[in-house]
Amino acid sequence: MIIPRLARWLDDRLGASRVARSTLNKVFPDHWSFMLGEIALYAFVILLLTGVYLTFFFVPGSKEVVYDGSYAPLHGATMSQAYESTLRISFDVRAGLVMRQIHHWAALVFVAAIIAHMSRVFFTGAFRRPREINWMVGITLLLLAVANGFTGYSLPDDQLSGTGLRIAYSVVLSIPLVGEWMAFLIFGGAFPGNDAITRFFVIHILIVPAAIAILLTVHLALLVRQKHTQWRTARAREDNVVGAKLWPTFMAKTVGLFFLVFAVVAALGGLVQINPVWIWGPFQPAAVSAASQPDWYVGWLEGALRLMPPWEIRAFGFEIPNPFYGGVLMPGITFGILYAWPFLEARFTHDHAEHHILDRPRDRPVRTAIGTGILTFYLLLFIAGGNDVLAAQFHVSVNAITYVLRVLLFVGPVSTGYVTYKLAQELRARDRARETTRSTRPPPPTAVLRRTPTGGYVEG
Amino acid sequence: MSERDLTRRRAVLVGAIPAVAASVLALTLVPAIPAGAGSSSDTTTTTTATDGTDDAALVAEGRELYDISCSSCHGATGEGTDLGPDLVGVGAASADFMLRTGRMPDTNPSRQATAKRPAFDDRQIEALVAYVASLGPGPPIPNVDDPRGSLQEGASLFLLNCAACHSAAGDGGALSYGRNAPELHSVGRTQVAEAMRIGPGPMPVFGPDTFSNEEVNSIVEYVTYLRDPEEPGGISLGVIGPVTEGLVGIFVGLGVLVLVVRWIEARA
Amino acid sequence: MRDKDRDELTKAEWRATNRVATGFAATTLAAIGLAIVYWQGGQTQLEGVLLALALGGLGYGFVVVAKRLLPQGPYEEERDPLPASDETVAGIEQDIERGEGWLDRRGFLLKLLALAGGALGLAALFPIRSLGPSPGNQLKRTRWRKDSLVVDAQGNPIATDALEVGGTLTVFPEGALEAEDSQTVLIRVPEDEFRPREGRADWAPMGYVAYSKVCVHAGCPVGLYQQDIKRLLCPCHQSTFDALDGARPVFGPATRSLPQLPLYVDDGGFLRSQSDYTEPVGPGFWDRDR
Repeated sequence: MIIPRLARWLDDRLGASRVARSTLNKVFPDHWSFMLGEIALYAFVILLLTGVYLTFFFVPGSKEVVYDGSYAPLHGATMSQAYESTLRISFDVRAGLVMRQIHHWAALVFVAAIIAHMSRVFFTGAFRRPREINWMVGITLLLLAVANGFTGYSLPDDQLSGTGLRIAYSVVLSIPLVGEWMAFLIFGGAFPGNDAITRFFVIHILIVPAAIAILLTVHLALLVRQKHTQWRTARAREDNVVGAKLWPTFMAKTVGLFFLVFAVVAALGGLVQINPVWIWGPFQPAAVSAASQPDWYVGWLEGALRLMPPWEIRAFGFEIPNPFYGGVLMPGITFGILYAWPFLEARFTHDHAEHHILDRPRDRPVRTAIGTGILTFYLLLFIAGGNDVLAAQFHVSVNAITYVLRVLLFVGPVSTGYVTYKLAQELRARDRARETTRSTRPPPPTAVLRRTPTGGYVEG
Repeated sequence: MSERDLTRRRAVLVGAIPAVAASVLALTLVPAIPAGAGSSSDTTTTTTATDGTDDAALVAEGRELYDISCSSCHGATGEGTDLGPDLVGVGAASADFMLRTGRMPDTNPSRQATAKRPAFDDRQIEALVAYVASLGPGPPIPNVDDPRGSLQEGASLFLLNCAACHSAAGDGGALSYGRNAPELHSVGRTQVAEAMRIGPGPMPVFGPDTFSNEEVNSIVEYVTYLRDPEEPGGISLGVIGPVTEGLVGIFVGLGVLVLVVRWIEARA
Repeated sequence: MRDKDRDELTKAEWRATNRVATGFAATTLAAIGLAIVYWQGGQTQLEGVLLALALGGLGYGFVVVAKRLLPQGPYEEERDPLPASDETVAGIEQDIERGEGWLDRRGFLLKLLALAGGALGLAALFPIRSLGPSPGNQLKRTRWRKDSLVVDAQGNPIATDALEVGGTLTVFPEGALEAEDSQTVLIRVPEDEFRPREGRADWAPMGYVAYSKVCVHAGCPVGLYQQDIKRLLCPCHQSTFDALDGARPVFGPATRSLPQLPLYVDDGGFLRSQSDYTEPVGPGFWDRDR
C-alpha cells in the first residue's frame, strides 16, 4: 500500500513515473569483469566516509609543536601539528588508527581497481565509438585518483612522504622556463616552506574529491545513456542488451558488493599495518631513510627517475635538468597516448563504426599485444622504483639491478608483446579449428531401426 | 542440452569471509624480517668498559688462538697481509665486534663481511679480544648501560644519522655494488655501540668526539626498541614500506575482490 | 511440474534463506561486538575484524538473495539508436544561428568581446601571484656566509678533533639549523688520498671536506657515506658521488658534482666556512647556470 501511494505522491510533484519505470527496468549485462569499475566506485565511497571522519581530527598545520602524546619514543620531540595530529589519531583517538588504515588501504585498492577496470575496457575494445568520451573521462579519473593519493599520504608530514614531496618539488622545478616560478607558487617558496600541507589539505579534501564526484557522475550518466557493452552470446546483438534488471537483482548484487568491498578494506585496516608514521619519524629536511618509496601507484614515476641515465640538455646557460625526462616528459607521453588511444586505433584500423559487442582479447591480437607491452613497461618501472628493496632483500647489487632494468625496460615489453601476439594467434587458430570440426561433424542419426527376431524392422 | 561453448572454469567462492580469513592466514605465514644469521648474546658480554689487557694469561691464550685462526690473513703479529688489515690499534671494540657477530673469521675476504654464527665461544672471544687489544691502544668495549641512554634522544639521533643507511625501522639497506647496511634486529646491544665506534666495512666511524658515550647509549636504546617496536596497526610486513603495502593492496585487496565478483556473477 | 521438482526447488530456496539469515545474524553479532570493543577502550585488530564481519555478513546476505532468490532473467532490452536524424542535427545549427543577423557589419564586436574576455581572464590570474614569493636569487644562495661557524644539528661547533678519519656528520651554519638549503655533509677523508679540484687546494683542511647534502638530482639528503670506498650515496635514486674527487657523480641519474663548501680552521680550532657555496645547491632548474 505504501509504494503505490508514495509513487503517486512523487509523480504528482516530479512527473517522473516514466523515468522511474524505465530506470527500474534497465538491463545490465552481468559478467564479473563488469564489476571492476564498481569496486573502484565503492572504494571511493569508503574513502569519503573514512576521510570525513579523519578530517574531524587531523590538523593541517606546519606550526611546530612539542609532542606529549602516548607514543613514548617521540616524547618531547618537535614536530608539525600535522604530524602530531596524525600520531594522536593513531594512538590516542579510539578507533582512530583503524579508520586511518582503512582509509589508506582503500586508496590502494581504489587505484588498483581503476587500473584493472581500465585494462578490461582496453583489452575488450569498450572504448570504441560511442564511448570515446567516457574513456577520456575515465583516464582523467585515474589522474585525479593518483593525485589525491599523493596529496593524501603527504598530509601527515612524516619523513617518508616529506622525502617524496622534496622529489616532487624538484620535478616541478625541472620544467623549462616556468619551473622555478611554479614550484615557488605551489609550495609558497623554497622547499619545504610552510604552506604545502595546508594547500595539499584543501586539494585533497575538497578540490579533487569534488572533481572526482562530478566526473564520476558524468561517467555513470554516459554509461546509462549509452548502455553497457556486452560479450557476444547467442542472444546478445549490437542492438540489444541482455542481462539482469536494475531492480531488484542488479541492485541487490551491487549493494552486496559495496558491503564486501568495505569488508575487505576493513579487514586489511584492522589486521595489516600500513604507513606507520611513528617509525618514519617527523619530517626533517636533512634526514632520509633507506628504502624510501612512494605509494605503489606512483612507483612507476619513481622507477623512471631511478633508471634514467645521467643525461640532461644544457645550452646557452639554460638547462632542462634530468628529472624532467622521467618525471614530466614520460608521464606526459603516457597519458597523451592513453587519452588519444580510441582515436589512434580508429584511424589505424579504419573502424569508425559503433560497437556495443566486446572483443575477446584474442580476437584483436595487435591491440592485446600492444596493451601487454605497455603494462609490462610500467610494471618494470614499478619494479625499478623498488630496486634498493630488491637489492637488500635478495643480496644483489643495486647497481646491477639498475643496469639490467634499463635494458629490460625495452626488451621486456617487446618480448611480452610478441609472445602475447603469438598466443592470441594460436588461441584463435584453435577456435577456428574447433568451429570447423563442429561444422564438418556428420549429422546425428535421425532414427534408429532395430531388427525384430521375426525379421521385421521396428523404430526405437 | 548445453552448448559446447568455450566456457572457462569459474572459481565459485561461497562467501567472501572464508577468502578474507584465508588471506589473513596466508599473511601471517609471510616471513617477517630477514633474520641475520648468527647473533651474539648480551648476557655473557661484559658490561663494564674494558681494554682487555688485564689478564696476561688471557692474552697468552688469545695469542695461541690467534696463531691458529687469524695469523694467515692478519699476519703473525697483527701487522696485516694482502688478505687482512693490520690490527695494531684497532682496540678491544673491533675484535669484540668482529668475533661476536661472527664476521671474523672471514672465509670470503673479497666480499663484505657478513654476520654469521660466532666461531668461538665466550671464553675464546675474551682471550682473542685481550690479545688484539694488547697489540696497541684502541677503542675499548663500550658500556651501553652507563651512562644511561635516553630513548627519545636516541630516536632523534638515529633518524638523522643512521636511518639513511639502516632505514628508519632498522631493516638495513642497500649500498653500492652489492654491499649493504645490515638489519639491526639481531645484533647485540654492545655490538651496536662497538660498530659506531669502529666503523666496520662501509660504516663511518663515530668516535667519542663525534658522539659522546651518552649519545651512543641513547642510540643503542632506540635500536633495542626497534627490535620490538609498537605495532598497533597489525601485521607489520617488516615495515619495508609502500612496496610491500602496495603488493598486499593489489594482490590481497584487489585479488580477494576479484574472487568476490567472480562469485557474485557465477552462474548457478 | 512434478512434485519432486517442486520439493527440490523449495530445498534450494530454503538453503539460500538459511545462508542469508546466517549472514545477517553474523552482522548483528559482530556489530554488537564492535560496540562493546569500542566501549571497552578500543583495539585496532578487533575493530577491523568485527567491522569486516559485520559488513561481510550484510554483503554475503545481499548477494545470496540476488543470486538465489531474485529473478535471474535473462532479460532483454533494446538499444535505441544513438544518432538522431540528419534533419534533427541540422536543426541544431538552425537553433544556434537564430537571429545571427545582428553580427552583420558588427563583426568587430566579436573581436572586442574576445579582447574583453581575454583581458578579464588574464587579470583574474593575477591573484595567483600571491601564492608565493618571487624566486629571485633564493635558489642560488644558501645561509652559509663568509666565516659562518660550522655547527652540528644540536648547534655545537665542530673542533678539529670532532671527526675521526672515516667519520661523517650533518652540519649547518650557526643560526640556521634545519635550513634545508644549507644542510651540509661533513666528512673526514685520509689527506693523502684526497684530490682537491683546481682552485680548491685550501678548501679541505686536515682532511675535513664538506659537500652540500642536497642531492643535485632531486634534492634528497645524500646521507649515505661509505667510508671504505669514500663514496657518497643518495638513497632516493642511487646517485653516487666520489668524495675524494669533489663529489663527482659516478653512478645514477645525477649529472653534476655536489657543490663543495670551502672550509678553514679558525683561531679557536673550530671549522668555519670561507664563503657560501660557489654554485647553486640542489637540483637543476632552467636558468641555474646564469
